[in-house]
Amino acid sequence: MFENLEILRQAQAMAAHAGARQSSIAQNIANADTPGYRPTDLAPFAEAYREAGADEGLRRTRGGHFGGEELRAAVAERFARLIPGATSPNGNGVSVEAEMMRGAEVLQQHELALSIYQNALGVLRTSLGRQR
Amino acid sequence: MSDIAKTLALSASGMQAQAARLRHVSENIANADTPGYHRKLVSFGEVVEGGRHTGKVETGPVALDRSELARIYDPSHPLADESGHYDGSNVDLVVEIADAREAQRSYEANLRMFDQARQMQSALIELLRR
Repeated sequence: MFENLEILRQAQAMAAHAGARQSSIAQNIANADTPGYRPTDLAPFAEAYREAGADEGLRRTRGGHFGGEELRAAVAERFARLIPGATSPNGNGVSVEAEMMRGAEVLQQHELALSIYQNALGVLRTSLGRQR
Repeated sequence: MSDIAKTLALSASGMQAQAARLRHVSENIANADTPGYHRKLVSFGEVVEGGRHTGKVETGPVALDRSELARIYDPSHPLADESGHYDGSNVDLVVEIADAREAQRSYEANLRMFDQARQMQSALIELLRR
């Protein structure tokens, strides 16, 4: 019953998106000195959620929601994109500063999603007559 | 593997690679005065497991810098030839220190990402505890 609440579902998708994006940032930073490496990033959450909502990819809460390894890989693959920009002489395109900026954004998004989730649960608890 | 666990593994591989690079820099600096020493270089590459790109990074095989050795004039040196010169090393301390600093900065960047993933995970666990 509760997992079908739109707000909880959206908060869950938002936190999962932040996790996936954090993973791509970590990959870029780990490869900041790898010759020929091109950095990737995920589409912003709003875009990914809208697109995935059309074919029930991200919004689905049933069994496979972000659970299955395959689905996760498919979602990551689908929304991953190369970051355009200048490359250094060895063909590496990672800008550590830009990655740090993205890292801060991701942390904020994740915290926001968790706060929304927590608050929604608080409202539910209050309606059940329990202490928050 | 969850995204956060994957993030931790990726950052750890980055730190490991940078640490290996720093180790070679310190070897070069330690041998800056060793006659005939060629400076060691490490390259980075992406880890491929079973034909799939994992995104992790690893250090490649060690290569030796083929540039010419420094000719040092010291007639009293046991290795000196008729002209009084001997081959020193081709280590340039300034280059090594710059490289060490760069490795340190990259290590810190990886560490920050590791810490951030850890923070996200503990925030999630905190949610469960309430």
